[in-house]
Amino acid sequence: MNALARRLRDSDLAVGAVGAFGLVAIWEIAARTGLVDPQLFPSPLLAIEMAAARLTAETVGENLAWSLFRVFSGFGLGASAGAVIGIAAGWYRTFGMIARPLIELLRPIPPLAWIPLAIIWFGLGEPSKFFIIFLGAFFPVVTSAYHGMRSIDPMLLRAGQTMGLGGVPLLFRVAVPAAAPDLATGVRIGWGLSFGVLVAAELVAADRGLGYMIINERNTGGSVGVIIVGILLIGLLNLVTDAAIGAATKRWIGRWHGT
Amino acid sequence: MAPRAHLALRRPEWSRGEHPVVNVPFIEISSVRKSFPARGGGAVSVLSGIDLAIAENEFVSLVGRSGCGKTTLLNIIAGLEAASGGSVAIAGRPVTGPGQGQGVVFQQHALFPWLAAVDNVGFGFRNAGLSKRQRRARSMELLRLVGLQAAATKYPRELSGGMQQRVSIARALALDPQILLMDEPFGALDELTRIELQQELLRIWQARRKTVVFVTHSINEALILSDRIVLLAANPGRIKRIFEVGMERPRSRTAPSFNALYEDIWNELSS
Amino acid sequence: MRARLARFAVSAAVIGAALLAWELAVRFGYLKPYQFPPASRIARGFVELSTTGFPTGVSIWSHTLVTIGRVLQGYLAALVLAIPLGLLIGALPFLDRLTAPVVVFCRSIATLSLLPLVIVWFGAGELTKIVLIAYGCFWTMLSNVIAGVRYVDPMLIRAARSFGVAGIELYRTVVLPAALPRIFAGARMALGVGFMVIVGAEMIGTIEGLGALIMEARTFYRSEITMIGMLVIGMLGFAISSGLAGLERLLLPWSGSLDEVRR
Repeated sequence: MNALARRLRDSDLAVGAVGAFGLVAIWEIAARTGLVDPQLFPSPLLAIEMAAARLTAETVGENLAWSLFRVFSGFGLGASAGAVIGIAAGWYRTFGMIARPLIELLRPIPPLAWIPLAIIWFGLGEPSKFFIIFLGAFFPVVTSAYHGMRSIDPMLLRAGQTMGLGGVPLLFRVAVPAAAPDLATGVRIGWGLSFGVLVAAELVAADRGLGYMIINERNTGGSVGVIIVGILLIGLLNLVTDAAIGAATKRWIGRWHGT
Repeated sequence: MAPRAHLALRRPEWSRGEHPVVNVPFIEISSVRKSFPARGGGAVSVLSGIDLAIAENEFVSLVGRSGCGKTTLLNIIAGLEAASGGSVAIAGRPVTGPGQGQGVVFQQHALFPWLAAVDNVGFGFRNAGLSKRQRRARSMELLRLVGLQAAATKYPRELSGGMQQRVSIARALALDPQILLMDEPFGALDELTRIELQQELLRIWQARRKTVVFVTHSINEALILSDRIVLLAANPGRIKRIFEVGMERPRSRTAPSFNALYEDIWNELSS
Repeated sequence: MRARLARFAVSAAVIGAALLAWELAVRFGYLKPYQFPPASRIARGFVELSTTGFPTGVSIWSHTLVTIGRVLQGYLAALVLAIPLGLLIGALPFLDRLTAPVVVFCRSIATLSLLPLVIVWFGAGELTKIVLIAYGCFWTMLSNVIAGVRYVDPMLIRAARSFGVAGIELYRTVVLPAALPRIFAGARMALGVGFMVIVGAEMIGTIEGLGALIMEARTFYRSEITMIGMLVIGMLGFAISSGLAGLERLLLPWSGSLDEVRR
């Protein structure tokens, strides 16, 4: 018993779970006893009850699917384009000289500021959301890919050259792997940004998706429970996918890069 | 093979000694053990049954492969880590923590990056009840001792590796400790800087009369510096053999006796 | 110096060429001027924005000031709360382990997803925007302060302990200064988050501020004004992040870690 107690005390997971459950429990008690107004500040359990009364699992699932579809497609293409352009700009001097100033000019503009322009260019439908999420992934990835390519240890390139590599084989077999840790950092940042942008885009201009679900609930004067469930769902989704990307990165480069 | 046997025959009397006779045990290490709880139960024994007596003003090196517990032993003498069993006493008083007359020089990167060289040295004086001006004057004096008065206002990152370790030595000397504990202080330096700092250390040691315990990976370095070399073995960490270095200082790295002892230590280490 | 000058010239030439190509493409009818207002039209728009303003009476300068004011209020509130709390949590490892999952989760919640909830709680006015900015900045700042305090190089702590320094004195003389670069990095990241959030928050329920400006201009088919607003937001973000980097060099001249934490 004593040994078990010690094991639990030493486990970060157990201690952290106590902290998280403690917080939820306090909120729960405060809402149930009327210490805070349960209509305005419903605890997670109350919120789920309230949401269940207003929404079917199917509706939530459909909105969730739309959000996921948007963020995966926009992020996938944005990150790929960022990686390709960043690597090319770092490797080919002329291309870098042309691409860099344009990227640096546009990079400080937060992706959300593109929303109005995206609507002007692509209308209110899916393409405009896709474009904004694309940008959210593109800029962090392109910057880190370029930075990674420019900070490769020249010794590695020389070593590759002495073994007869040059041109494209040198790029793919030495330079890109050497830049991979920077690239991975950019991908992770880009994912977080894409996700934040997704929610904002759905709040401002959409007719489905989790962001739409919660803003619509508030515009139609629905229940706070639905909004809270939506927020928790979005947070959870972000947490899980970010952890998945972290784990994938670790498998990819963890053994030799050590993070 | 033949020349080595020849040298071994001519090995002087003192280097064959087992445990030497120490008249005044200044640092007394008796049956020191250290173990850590292992992953998945059990314990890893880092040090087991260490007995060692070090005389006042003696220069002792701890040599051994990675994982033999030499740094742990140093930390226990410094009072930075507690032993799992046994005891360490300095001048008869058991060590219960740092600040009992031990000054420590660490491996690289132990200078406070936000303090200029002179303030890093001054850090040692912080509890000495001196005025700011006195502290600065004393720090400058110590920097002069290590030849760095010109770099007093530089931050650590603006100093070369050798200069950083000079500052570390000056800092460790701040409270005028009787004992200087050094943990591979020159390990990351290039050969030429390393030799320079070894000479510098010997000069300081002779001028200020300290008892030094010096951890190193380098047999060469231990031979140049020490009175005695304590060879540690791993799994669990224990004293394998103690070598007495009887040569006069300054020592020649090419003297036959130097090479013979080197050979001995190497054989013992790799056996 | 010469190389930098040459690089700058190349950049200027590339950007100039891009603008020219854009202008020509519009003139020859390849791009619609409504969707891609050429540089000349953007310049005229800028004159209008800085004199009569858009909507009439609200110049680009007052939009900018409103946005900066909102960001600063939320940002400073977040700093005031997050720094002491982070210093405390970082100092007590058990507290850190207890709160870590909550901090991680709250940080993963996309700040703007809180918008509907915060509107229900605080109405659609100023307070809502400031609360959102504060929320975003707070968690970024908090996790950086905690990390800064917790992951101090153990070598430095050992060196200080070898002089008998311990407890609160150890925290004050070693842990705190060692954590400063990370705290500074957190402050810069948090400001970035603040600027990100404000643009979204201003798109709903206000006509003042840069986010409102670009959204409002769109509904009136004034894409050149949208673009000017975007450029001002970009320049503002760039100027502030360079300013903070300069401030860090000034305040922490000993820290060589600036390049590592740049992104």
